Amino acid sequence: MNIDNSKEWHWFKGGILVSLLSVATYFIFSAIADRNYPFGITAGFGYIAAQFGRLFGDLSENPVIKRFSEKPDAFIEFFLLIGLIIGGYTASKLSGTFLSENIPAVWEKYHGKSLIKRYLFVLVGSIFLGYGAALASGCTTGNILQGWAHLSLGSIVAGASFFAAGIITAKILYPKTGGNDDNN
Amino acid sequence: MIIINILFGLVVGFLFGYILTRTGITKYPRVMGMLLLKDFKILKFMLTAVTSSMILFYLLGDFGLLKTVPKNLDWGKLVGGLIFGTGMGILGYCPGTMAARIGEGKKEAILSLFGMAIGIFIYALTIKNVKETFLSSEMNGDIFTQLGVNKWIVIIPAAIIFSAIIYFVNKNFSDNKKIF
Repeated sequence: MNIDNSKEWHWFKGGILVSLLSVATYFIFSAIADRNYPFGITAGFGYIAAQFGRLFGDLSENPVIKRFSEKPDAFIEFFLLIGLIIGGYTASKLSGTFLSENIPAVWEKYHGKSLIKRYLFVLVGSIFLGYGAALASGCTTGNILQGWAHLSLGSIVAGASFFAAGIITAKILYPKTGGNDDNN
Repeated sequence: MIIINILFGLVVGFLFGYILTRTGITKYPRVMGMLLLKDFKILKFMLTAVTSSMILFYLLGDFGLLKTVPKNLDWGKLVGGLIFGTGMGILGYCPGTMAARIGEGKKEAILSLFGMAIGIFIYALTIKNVKETFLSSEMNGDIFTQLGVNKWIVIIPAAIIFSAIIYFVNKNFSDNKKIF
């Protein structure tokens, strides 16, 4: 399987546009969200987690739940998440890459068609993602796209750890790659 | 004010999602290809964005237009980073691209959205122990203060290193190679 890049923007174009978005957002974000940091994604998920927390009365004083339910940046990032969904939809529709699928084709080729198996991996993987992002106070967006740009020591360590663990996990899941179904 | 916050979030998210999807950053084989060190489009995209925003941020900072606040270093960054990386390897994408993928029609991403929120919820439940273990000793994350040098002495070499990595992987790896 080749990765089709005929309909993709060049990485340089995408990268420059993201940096302009980061810088532009920084000004507005610090003005309206009382936060001297550009946009992230994690707090938006934190906002959803805080809504779970509200179902349990005794959690209202939990510092994490409190932070994500009260701070304006979490509220903004929740809508940022919705914006991301709409943005992904619009971009894929306009470029003709919208494709409804249950699980990734590459996964299916190497790990089988079982939906339950893949969904189990998805659930475990995303719980790790949420826990890790909360503990490292940021995900790829907050710690690499923004944090590396600021050369924050915390973000440099977090981002390097993302890659280190990701590389090992990927190697375990795909010890042997390179399809033999066609010559390329 | 609430309307402004909502609109701002929606617009920034829309633009970010549009760029991510349009550049192909959201694709499962691209993320896995990067982690398998075989496809570097995401890395090139990321380091381009990082280098460009780094220079812009600090130039604007020199003009007194904005103030960057570095993230402090604590054990949570390392341990949380390793947990996050493991999750990213298992899942095959990260939180931002996850949301864009929902828009692209990838159904499993909806499940991962809830998983991510559950992960943060579990974090909230364990916060007391986490604080004592990982977050008690903190180090100032400002690299310039730590090194005691003018910031451009760090920024310029960092920009050169990032650019060199981009140049190297771009020269040696194609963006539409057959990996899987």
